[in-house]
Amino acid sequence: MSNEAFTQLVDAHYTALYRFALSLARNAADAGDLVQQTFFIWATKGGSLRDAAKAKSWLFTTLYREFLRGRRRDARATSIEDLPAGEQDIAAEEVDRVARLDAGTVMSALQGVDEVFRAPLTLFYLQELSYQEIAETLDVPIGTVMSRLSRGKAQLRAALEKEAVGVGAKVVAFNVAKGGKA
Amino acid sequence: MNNDEAKFLLSVYRPNGRDAADPAMAEALAQAKRDPALAAWFERQQAHDAAVAAKLRGIAPPPGLRDAILAGARATENARVVRPAWRHPAWLAAAAALVILLGAFMGWRFAPIHGATLEEFAVNFVDRGFTLQKRSADVAVLKAWLAERQQPLPQTLPTEFARLRALGCRMLEFQGREVSLVCFERGGKEFHVFVVRREAGAIDAPETSPRWIERGRLVAAAWSDASNHYVLVSDAPTETVKRLL
Repeated sequence: MSNEAFTQLVDAHYTALYRFALSLARNAADAGDLVQQTFFIWATKGGSLRDAAKAKSWLFTTLYREFLRGRRRDARATSIEDLPAGEQDIAAEEVDRVARLDAGTVMSALQGVDEVFRAPLTLFYLQELSYQEIAETLDVPIGTVMSRLSRGKAQLRAALEKEAVGVGAKVVAFNVAKGGKA
Repeated sequence: MNNDEAKFLLSVYRPNGRDAADPAMAEALAQAKRDPALAAWFERQQAHDAAVAAKLRGIAPPPGLRDAILAGARATENARVVRPAWRHPAWLAAAAALVILLGAFMGWRFAPIHGATLEEFAVNFVDRGFTLQKRSADVAVLKAWLAERQQPLPQTLPTEFARLRALGCRMLEFQGREVSLVCFERGGKEFHVFVVRREAGAIDAPETSPRWIERGRLVAAAWSDASNHYVLVSDAPTETVKRLL
């Protein structure tokens, strides 16, 4: 692959890959490393990919596998069945609450979601891949992707609520402290 | 589709509309249009998802990441030029071993396959293992691929073949004649159909009733029609293959 083509590939995908990596790795340094490692693997192996249209899917898949390779499985991932599904109603206030939060806070809430849901959830919100490609990236059937999304969204909403309350709680705590009463 | 099923699908419908082409999603969307309560629920879901997606788009990579990726790739490329990996002694030793193994494999793999009859040849061919040159579950695609190459085409396969899942096809030769091989699968068992044109010259093949042979795990049936000679080879039980024909 020529330098120009490689640069175009990096420019086209590194931002979305970084967002995906940040949700998985939970810190900027590790996320940056994951993205670099992914493109390094592309530079050594991915150039032989016959179908250029599949480069994006290949990059997301490789990044996810690199992440899985580099960390020990999260024990919390076993509690999938205990979670509520994400089809409950959403109050208009919840939408407003998200709109008021900054991007870093929303990412922080996303990073708090169990990893088994976090990966499909991030790919869902990035809106870069089709469901077939997401299923292939995560190596699970499409139905499982959808089921995990549904449950992951429930976890994310709970995490967003905590983030919002946390911001509010700090303000309340400050006021209480100022008043000298608990 | 009831409302719970529709909600399950709509809850994973992405706000940028890239899932609109999915038939199940389309059905759920149509249901939401008919049901005001479902539509209101869906609207709030979409608003929430759009809000989160927008926040995610607000995350920017660190300023130096792009340059680091490109510089890393250049460094890797330079390192390759300075010391090609294949010149490392370990790689050379491995390559030598690979050449020996490959030679042994090629000798086995490409040794001629014998058979006095088409069915014997077909059984030996399947027994040794082979690769498909064209993969598709669509028989029409396989026929088109074979037709492009002027290969014999299976014109009159028994109707029961419609219940099988096509795997792919390839070309081969038997006694100097062109042979098409079309492979199917059902229930973990494979069904390989060899086709030779009748006009390609006389070969030992039955005219009407299938002729059967069994070899180890494989069973084969040979028959002919007005255009072709056929052999079906399968690892399915003989009774299953007989029902197919």
